[in-house]
Amino acid sequence: MLQDHLHDFVTKHGFTGYTELRAQQNRNRSVAMLNGSLVSNSSGISKGISARVVKGGAYGFASATGYGEDPDAIAQVVNAASQNAAFLDHHVQRGQTDFASVQPFTRKDGLEQDVAVEQSYLLGMVDDLDSYIAERFPKLLSRRVFARVLDMEKLLYTSDGVVSHSLVPRSNVYIFMTAEDKDGQPVELYKVLGGYGNFLDNFKNAEEYFDKIEKQHELLMQKAEGVYAKPGIQTVILDYDLAGILAHEAVGHTVEADFVQTGSVGGPMFGKQVASEKISLVDIAHTAFGELAPVPVFVDDEGTPAQDQMLIENGILNGYMHNKESARKFGHQANGNARAYDFSDEPLIRMRNTCIMPGTDKLEEMIASVEDGYFMTDMNNGQADSTGEFMFGVPMGFEIKNGKLGKAIKDTTVSGVAFDILKTADMVSDTVSWTNSGMCGKKQMIPVGMGGPAIKVKINVGGRA
Amino acid sequence: MKKAFEVKNRAVVDAAELILAEIKAIGADEGETWVSHNILTELYYELGKISMVRTVFSDKVSIKLLKDKRKGAVTLNSFDPVDIKQAVAEAWQASQSAAPDEAEGIAELQENVSFSSGREKPDLDMMYQQLVGLLADVKSDFPKISFDSIGIEHNHSEKVYANTNGVRLSDDVGLYQLSNMFVAKDQDKSSSFNYFGTVYEDPSERVTDSDRVRRVFDDTQQQIETEQFEGSFVGDLVIMPGCLENFIWYVGDTYLQDGALISGTSPWKDKLGEQVSSPLVSFSLVAEHPDLPGASQLSGDGYVAENMSLIEGGVLKNFSLSRYGAARTGLKRSANNGGTFVFDRGETPLEELIAGVEKGILLGRFSGGNPSPAGDLSGVAKNSFLIENGKVTKALSEVMIAGNLGDMLRDTVAVSQERENSGYWLLPWIRVKNVTISGK
Repeated sequence: MLQDHLHDFVTKHGFTGYTELRAQQNRNRSVAMLNGSLVSNSSGISKGISARVVKGGAYGFASATGYGEDPDAIAQVVNAASQNAAFLDHHVQRGQTDFASVQPFTRKDGLEQDVAVEQSYLLGMVDDLDSYIAERFPKLLSRRVFARVLDMEKLLYTSDGVVSHSLVPRSNVYIFMTAEDKDGQPVELYKVLGGYGNFLDNFKNAEEYFDKIEKQHELLMQKAEGVYAKPGIQTVILDYDLAGILAHEAVGHTVEADFVQTGSVGGPMFGKQVASEKISLVDIAHTAFGELAPVPVFVDDEGTPAQDQMLIENGILNGYMHNKESARKFGHQANGNARAYDFSDEPLIRMRNTCIMPGTDKLEEMIASVEDGYFMTDMNNGQADSTGEFMFGVPMGFEIKNGKLGKAIKDTTVSGVAFDILKTADMVSDTVSWTNSGMCGKKQMIPVGMGGPAIKVKINVGGRA
Repeated sequence: MKKAFEVKNRAVVDAAELILAEIKAIGADEGETWVSHNILTELYYELGKISMVRTVFSDKVSIKLLKDKRKGAVTLNSFDPVDIKQAVAEAWQASQSAAPDEAEGIAELQENVSFSSGREKPDLDMMYQQLVGLLADVKSDFPKISFDSIGIEHNHSEKVYANTNGVRLSDDVGLYQLSNMFVAKDQDKSSSFNYFGTVYEDPSERVTDSDRVRRVFDDTQQQIETEQFEGSFVGDLVIMPGCLENFIWYVGDTYLQDGALISGTSPWKDKLGEQVSSPLVSFSLVAEHPDLPGASQLSGDGYVAENMSLIEGGVLKNFSLSRYGAARTGLKRSANNGGTFVFDRGETPLEELIAGVEKGILLGRFSGGNPSPAGDLSGVAKNSFLIENGKVTKALSEVMIAGNLGDMLRDTVAVSQERENSGYWLLPWIRVKNVTISGK
């Protein structure tokens, strides 16, 4: 765990003007097996210190690797950030006042999760899972099993007197299986296990996951016999995986206040109906439905206490995600969305755990209500832009014919304009699940959680004619 | 520039030598390390203003060691001898639990050389002037363009590769890079976002002097008003150079690189020397090119990279395999497994290439899922236009395309004479037939 070498420095030197001073270490581990051979067996630490100084509205940032008790090393980073702010302030002469001060506070979050795990433990787990797959399914064309651990620990001091020391651990195992279809073409399916928490807690023994592997193989075999989806607008039930990424990619990015200022569709739609009344969307700070969310944020990297941010309430767009600067510009409250990935990164407006709230429908009733359409269960990536137009890759799904699940479908893509699609949502299931392995790219990568119920919509499917 | 092995920053060399000494001392059979010292200087524009100057000093170290062909690897960002000793011990511990892999190894002894390019020190004032100039030029010439962000970076990196076979390689690179994201806006209407990236050595260059940059801004301004169409048809794709880079990365990942070949899923795994695409298709990986400062002259596994043809006249000439990938598959290690692509120019003028399309799409950006192992892919045509009867008629939205990568290369019917250059790729427009295009 990071030692607090910042306290003495701050006590002795204080800050000149608005400053955030952050020590951070990201610890990662990776083990990967491809067809039984170990292709990755590595661990790493990225540790360092950064300072961000604001002078007249101009930001100066500096960072350096290494973090220790040497006050001169800390001072050098703060001075470099100050000089950068002064250079820019000299050129742009913006003349803005500092952000309004907040009440000082100190808190610690997640530090009890700092549990050491040996690389050999990851190796053993991956080997056990891989061996099970190899033994049970020898006809597979290929199999990949890999484990990843990322622990993000941050120690933040701000000139407002905020002190926050936090640890957010994440551990996942990914399982890819590839089989041949009847034409000899490879078809693939993957599942992700684990999520928030340290590896030891999430993966106590491999046997707990054998049922999931069996299910995954069964689905892969169905996909190998699968059909191409029909292209064009279709009635589709998007399961939680896809509803979650819809919330994140297609809506979430358009209501990040920086994208709003650039001209995203979220700007002119504020206060308007953008979805059916059955849809409410929230960016959860840290806790939802009585449990920690996949990426709990209690204090963001500007020192703002994190709270849930309502984005769409009963179909009405009524909130944006902010950092301190955009909140001041819009006259809104910042709720803790300014996040940085590495010690060398400046905080950006980022989502945390975007989630469509559950409805009242049962999934079985939703499927029964579809005469001709699809039930899409998995996603493998997603992209969206400022217009709200989006696409997701769909590696697994089924036809629905006369209210019953039919054949599996091969890889396809769904796309549309988010607010148009959400206006067609006429059924929303009563349970929510989280996708808790997501990384979002926006200048920097950042871990995010995505959640949702199953939703029934009309959406464009990129099948084959 | 290539010369005998020589490194200016002693701390980088000292750290590398210490790591090799620790690897030997702990009892490993073989080991290798990458050590670098990097200084990033960034000028950043967002939300209508030049907002930030950022400086990042970083030391990076990666270590791999082998004992009885069992591998352990670590990364850290410290040259501190105590941290290095601990990291080597961590790698050693990891290797002890690993299964042996006969394919593991390190680069063989070769000529020890150093490369250098670009400038070590950033010119922050010049970067500022370049950014101010870009903003002024865009305001004047492309008034509907609205930037979300612009980053001008100078990245200086001095890195060393060293291994226990005696290999010593280094690369001293100081290059500028411009990245951005923008839309075109007219009152409440907005285009899709668009972007371009470029790598260069001289920040005094005017960004908008580039034909490519002017075309991208101009296209985006024409994409504020888009139209959709109903139904689907099988037609032609004219793929723009920036988008073609995206497809070539997919080709590498699906057909040519370690993952697809080791797993055996590459549909081309037995096709070396055979015709895999249209005879019009020829592209290479380059390590050195007068117009591409972004090309890397060292491979990630400790070799001097060379220029290498991947497909020539439609014939698969080489895979893009690392030393490990080659050992695992029994194939030859590739002279280049990097990511700087050059696609040979064709014989068709761009205007003629488009004029030959009865119905299809001029594809600016592909927003799609990764291809399946068989090469099937589908996604949204972004920043794109409809082509009807040989003419570009209107900007499109909500249009999807679906096809197969291998089929698309086989169905390439024209390659343009014109090419665009980003500093890290050099690519033409290509025309592909028989692609499924579907509207709403």
